[in-house]
Amino acid sequence: MYDNDADRRIDISEPVMSRNDRFAAENRKFLTDRNIYTLNLISSPGAGKTTVLEVMARFFGPGMAVIEGDVQTRRDAERIERAGCRAWQIETGGACHLDAQAVGNALEHMEMEDGTVRLLAIENVGNLICPSGYFLGEDMRIGLLSIPEGDDKVLKYPSLFSTVDVLLINKMDLVPHLDFDVDRVVEECRSLNPDVTVFTVSARTGEGMEEFCGFVESNIS
Amino acid sequence: MAKDMTRIIGRTLGRKVNLERVNVTVGPLSGISPESLRFCFTEIARMEGFGEPELVITTTEARMVCLECGHEYSASDFYQCCPVCGSISRRILSGRELTVDSVEIEDSAE
Repeated sequence: MYDNDADRRIDISEPVMSRNDRFAAENRKFLTDRNIYTLNLISSPGAGKTTVLEVMARFFGPGMAVIEGDVQTRRDAERIERAGCRAWQIETGGACHLDAQAVGNALEHMEMEDGTVRLLAIENVGNLICPSGYFLGEDMRIGLLSIPEGDDKVLKYPSLFSTVDVLLINKMDLVPHLDFDVDRVVEECRSLNPDVTVFTVSARTGEGMEEFCGFVESNIS
Repeated sequence: MAKDMTRIIGRTLGRKVNLERVNVTVGPLSGISPESLRFCFTEIARMEGFGEPELVITTTEARMVCLECGHEYSASDFYQCCPVCGSISRRILSGRELTVDSVEIEDSAE
């Protein structure tokens, strides 16, 4: 029994995300110790994350490795391997995002000790909401938005687009066929996030991809 | 997140005990829906052996600084413009937090 309310009340004052943040910090240390620059690629399903990574795999070759996050199947990892990079598939088995602990487990298995890998791309589970809250230890967070999704998505998903370093607008080859105001998207993203860098690309035709890959390369020390 | 909350509580208390109340602070930019959190947490707290505590959610204000005029202001969502100059161009200073503040143990728990 307690004498008064004060005895029954116990202060905790701990951020709920602190556990994920600890794992993320470990990932960050693991990767920087090995001179590996890390991307976290976030978009809705079908925006073209894997196709962008296939083009990047051809640009960077074996110097790039990929962690694929999907609810189920190794399909995306197989696509990346065919494009010439090593890939590790995380099947979340239902979870709608990757967390730092799952990425840490993957890093332990990826055999990146020989020094050839200098860029790691993490493809998150297709989702514009949950992945935004989980820092994985990345150096650069990329939000990918594709033309068929519509030009109103940035302000609908502010928790993501306010935290991205790069906004990559994909499927630019479809602009002539759809009503998508690229300027509106860029302006709305900058209002949430004044420091964002924007690239407009088509992974399918290759338009803009060299500039984007060159930008990523310029960030690798 | 609800599971992480019970993990934090369990680690701090060092034991499983029926709780009367759990106090948390939620920032308006955290993406947390209070109703969803309450639903999940109530269920998980029971499953994890913490009884049926009431989840008391305090919502804070976000802090923003306007990049046009430099005014610092409070906001309750992502869309509030600067009250001085009306610009939407701003840097977010805080508002994404989700914190377990404290727990209150049930009177008859021990």
